[in-house]
Amino acid sequence: MELQAIYVQILALVIFAIGLIVAVSRRNVFFVLMGVELALNAVNLSFVGFAKTLPNDMSIVGQVVPLFSIAVAAAEACVGLAMVILIFRNRESVDADTYSNMKG
Amino acid sequence: MLLHLLVLAPFVAAILMVMTSKEDAKSSSRLAILMGIGFTAMSVALIAGGSVSTEAIEWFQIPGCKGPVYYYLTSHGLASWMVFLSSGLSLVALISARGITCRSYRNFAIGIFSLMGAMNGTFLAADAVLFFFFFEAMVIPAAVLIAGFGGKDRMKAAMTFAIYTLVGSAPMMVALWYVLTVADNSMLISFAVAVQGLPEGTQNVLLGCFMLAFLVKTPIFPFHGWQAITYAEAPAPLSAILTGAMSKAGVFGFIVWVLPIFPLSMNAVSGMMWLGLFTAVYGALMALRATDGKKLLAFSSMGHLGLAVAGVFSLSEAMLPAVLVLLVAHGISAGAQFYLMGIAERMTGTRELDQLGGLSSKNPVFSTLFGFAGVMALAVPGTAGFVGEFSVLLALWDMGPLPALVAGFTLILSAAYMLRFIQKVIFGKAAREYEEGRRTSPLEGFSIAVMLVLLLVFGFHPAFITNSLVEPEATENPAAAQVLNNAALNNGEAPMTEEEIHQLDSTLAAAGFKDDERASIIAQMKGDNSSEAVTKSENSVKETSDAE
Amino acid sequence: MISLGLIPLFPLLGCIILGAIAVISSGSKKGPAEGFVGTLAVLFPALSFAGVALLSFNMPEGGIRETLCNWIDIPMFRVDIGFLFDGLSRIMLLFVTGIGSLIALYSIGYMHGDRGFARYFAYINLFLFSMIVLVLSDNLLLTFLGWEGVGLCSYLLIGFWNKDLKNCQAANKAFIVNRVGDIGFLLGMLFLVTVGGSAILNYDVLSNFISMVINGNHVEIVVPVLSVAGILFFIGCTGKSAQIPLLTWLPDAMAGPTPVSALIHAATMVTSGVYLLARLGSMFALLPVVLDIIVVVGMLTAFWAAVAGLFQNDIKKVLAYSTISQLGYMFMASGVCAFDASIFHVFTHAFFKAALFLGAGAVIHALAGEQDMRKMGGLLKKTPVTACVMIFAFLAIVGFPGFAGFWSKDLILERLFMNCSMFIPGFTIFGHEVPNIPLNGVVYAVGLATAVITAVYMGRLIILTFFGSYRGSKESEEHIHEAPAVMLIPMVILAFGAVFAGYLWADSIGIKFFAETLAPVVGAAQAYNTPAVTAHLNPVVFAVLGTVAALLGMFIAYKIYAKARIPAAKGSSAPEGGKATWTFLFDSIHKYVGIIPVNVLAWICDVVVDKVLAAAQWTLGAIATILGDGVASFQVRKVRVQIALSILGLIALMVVVLLTGGTL
Repeated sequence: MELQAIYVQILALVIFAIGLIVAVSRRNVFFVLMGVELALNAVNLSFVGFAKTLPNDMSIVGQVVPLFSIAVAAAEACVGLAMVILIFRNRESVDADTYSNMKG
Repeated sequence: MLLHLLVLAPFVAAILMVMTSKEDAKSSSRLAILMGIGFTAMSVALIAGGSVSTEAIEWFQIPGCKGPVYYYLTSHGLASWMVFLSSGLSLVALISARGITCRSYRNFAIGIFSLMGAMNGTFLAADAVLFFFFFEAMVIPAAVLIAGFGGKDRMKAAMTFAIYTLVGSAPMMVALWYVLTVADNSMLISFAVAVQGLPEGTQNVLLGCFMLAFLVKTPIFPFHGWQAITYAEAPAPLSAILTGAMSKAGVFGFIVWVLPIFPLSMNAVSGMMWLGLFTAVYGALMALRATDGKKLLAFSSMGHLGLAVAGVFSLSEAMLPAVLVLLVAHGISAGAQFYLMGIAERMTGTRELDQLGGLSSKNPVFSTLFGFAGVMALAVPGTAGFVGEFSVLLALWDMGPLPALVAGFTLILSAAYMLRFIQKVIFGKAAREYEEGRRTSPLEGFSIAVMLVLLLVFGFHPAFITNSLVEPEATENPAAAQVLNNAALNNGEAPMTEEEIHQLDSTLAAAGFKDDERASIIAQMKGDNSSEAVTKSENSVKETSDAE
Repeated sequence: MISLGLIPLFPLLGCIILGAIAVISSGSKKGPAEGFVGTLAVLFPALSFAGVALLSFNMPEGGIRETLCNWIDIPMFRVDIGFLFDGLSRIMLLFVTGIGSLIALYSIGYMHGDRGFARYFAYINLFLFSMIVLVLSDNLLLTFLGWEGVGLCSYLLIGFWNKDLKNCQAANKAFIVNRVGDIGFLLGMLFLVTVGGSAILNYDVLSNFISMVINGNHVEIVVPVLSVAGILFFIGCTGKSAQIPLLTWLPDAMAGPTPVSALIHAATMVTSGVYLLARLGSMFALLPVVLDIIVVVGMLTAFWAAVAGLFQNDIKKVLAYSTISQLGYMFMASGVCAFDASIFHVFTHAFFKAALFLGAGAVIHALAGEQDMRKMGGLLKKTPVTACVMIFAFLAIVGFPGFAGFWSKDLILERLFMNCSMFIPGFTIFGHEVPNIPLNGVVYAVGLATAVITAVYMGRLIILTFFGSYRGSKESEEHIHEAPAVMLIPMVILAFGAVFAGYLWADSIGIKFFAETLAPVVGAAQAYNTPAVTAHLNPVVFAVLGTVAALLGMFIAYKIYAKARIPAAKGSSAPEGGKATWTFLFDSIHKYVGIIPVNVLAWICDVVVDKVLAAAQWTLGAIATILGDGVASFQVRKVRVQIALSILGLIALMVVVLLTGGTL
């Protein structure tokens, strides 16, 4: 049975929504980070799903973009974690709500 | 090439300074001074080389505008002298700062070089957006320097300065954008053409926006709120640059970016002239009451620049050389005075006039320089200041005797406050006991002496300055030609005949002829197109009476 | 033949060299060698004098003209640096450089031991440079350079002892009051430029223009404009030459070293106003209104200053008021177009007034700085040479027959009577026709009365200083000594001048050398105004009347002061009571007309306007801050809420775009 492209998109949407909700609702900064990662991966999934709909010779284009974004996401996760650790060391807290130094 | 170097190389120099040692002030100061000498030499070469311009390189495209923005530099007599002021004063600032900011000299030099680059860019830009870019860019290094090296109230001064000047030029940005949407590109000529085509109301709003930026920068009453505190709190070498070179950007803007673009009405011209004169009187009166030495100098600068602006808006034929000489003379003499006041502050630890005094017996070399700098600021004949002020008076005379009389009054006031200043600082006995700080270093004294000698040289041979303005038509530089012809453009007729008529008219008026008699005489002088001449002469009669 | 440029160049060189010495040696304890500095200081003025003398003997009839280079060249305005050496500048230069050299020589003795020795002579040389440029220039703008230059040197030298703030204040006053006059000069030049372009600032072009106007019968057309210019120039002259109303600075200027008072504030600088009137004589001759103003101002000044001179106790102040009074004579002469007579009085006055000041300096030197005449007396025996010099100069200033002042003052009084054409216009009263009342008699009478008062106050000075018995303290009496030779020689030379200078133009005995040398310059101007009194009067009548006035004044002085008990000096030497009111009349006028209004204006600017502006700016700033605070309260503390808000915003945008189909 051929996998319908729309199911992939629905899955991606669900994962994206979960990621977004986690990022917004959780106070622990690590969960926020994980949520963001989840949302990012949902987008990748969406890309791959759309790539499937294209003819074979062109679908490779759609599959390359997620590769790039996975690489970028890895770097981003590194930097993000490093920042979180630094903040944690400074603040002794992983509660994102206490990070309010930037408030005008 | 020279133009690119003068605008871009200072930024490179600033980056180079970043790499020098932070602790070793001596070596970094040597490097900085060497580069400063290089820039000054280049600016002299620029003056000697006459008008040049670079290729217009396309820079970027603003969305919604017809043409691109160019990176396009051009020099004309006015601009190259302003560049000379900015690089020369920066050099002296770098020399003078060794005594004040030895702890973090490197950072000071970085700021000075970026400021110099931005100022050179402002004066040399031929593209409106480029000009505005540099015009705004000047503020940032200056504000950072004030915040980093200033006196007690430095944060307040830096904030006041930055916010006041940036807010002042914000309307100009909007106006600029608006004109860009109707103009072919961002060059001066296309701006002028575009503005001519706009309805009068829009023109006036645009004019107001442009004016505001320059009024604040100069500064002209009532937009001088930032000036006194900024000049007083900034480190003295920076104050010298601010008044000697940066404030000139305002007057420069009036000459290069307002007069050629906007068709000014007679009311606007005479209004601006009177505003300039009022600023001159106001500055002098405020200086008379100032108790802080640097504030006194700040108000004195305000007065002189007010006179310069009044001169600009006299729109006389002699306006450009007159104002240029006045600006150069004021740049050098006010700069020297700020440096000297900085040394006085360094030696005595105060800049309150009542706390100073008696320096002439303690440090004769310093007070000789101080006294002479003060005297030269008085526009005594033989100094460049006299040539400048006299020719500005001459230009104002075109608008009638009353403006010239007011300008003369400011000369008396300037004598009053400047002599009081000299007396308070160097004469008499020291007002209090203090530990004496660092004295004038030989290099410092020498550089200031060179400035004073330059004033004398320009005083006896102003042709050095005025000749750089001669033969603008021969060059291929449209901006300079535009500048020089603006009086003619604005009046829409040949300036000489207008001038002659005006002269004849005032002579006849003084001789007691009635208005209609004068009109008919002038009509006869003009020959066949008599009816037109009559109306014109009537207009000029009205103008004279308005001016009076 | 030497170049004219050399004459001002010598003192300029001297100034630069001495200034360099002064600056370089300022760090050392002892200062530069006085002998060396003194030699240099006298050498350069003397060289300049030699140059002038050389040129004077070889001067062609029309004078020498020389243009050095261009000065200012801008559209509408072009002026050259050029020199004009003619009969008028010859006379002026001869005595400026000559007396300048003598006083430089005298100063070596007077300034001995002063720490600012080299600086003093640098200023003196700078002064001579400016004065030479003033006199020698061939156009008004260059004259103005010298004009302000001498004012500047006067400022520097009055405030020479700058540790005392009183001296500095006197110097500031001198400069500022002069500045007021200078602005008149400046505006006068602008008026002239309006009439005939920048070329007219050249004296030759100006006199050509004037003669063209006269020949073409256009006098009525140009007179109104020229009158304004003339009045403005005259304001300049009142500033520099200390006439009403700008005369307050000169008495204060006595704060400077005495040789400076002799050179600048008596012999040379203050006479530059008279010089300018003579130089522009051809213009002033056309302007009867301005001439009348000049006569009145000169007359009032001469009389007022003579009376004020009676009240002074400070020996230098007496001489200062006497200078003002004599300058008043010169202006009266200029006002009746007798420019040659006024220049002649400048010339003789330079000798006897310089001698008087130097003598006073020698007295002050002898008394170790005492200037109050009430503490002097009986110095004739102790300082005989000084006393003789001063008595000769005294006889010259009061116009004793045969002495220099007699010839020049007599000439002025005669011309006043003959040439003065002022009158009160005729009017009708009670049906009677009153014809025009000529005022030449009044002017002459005031001049004569002033001569009497001159003799009284000068007699008082001589009697109080040299006769009677010494009134100072006993200790100080022992230290009284005659001045050194280096001071005495210039005094004696000047005393000779005070006696014999008048014989260059002794009208009564037929010598008219002086008048002839000036004739090419001022002759045309003087010919334009015809004498008011056409009847021939014997000049001997005037001579006799003048002599009687001088003798009368001396007699009164002798009667009052020779026997009178001088009140012991207490406190300052300034006059008190009614005398002070009279003396400081113009000071208080200046205070109420000039200083207080300016201060009030400044106060309004500073305290009212600036504060209002500051408040406006503060209000704007406060509004911005309040708005900012309001907006900032939307900025909640929680990062997550903000993210959620921005996502919501994104969704809202997308919805809008979708609904409108992207074509908003």
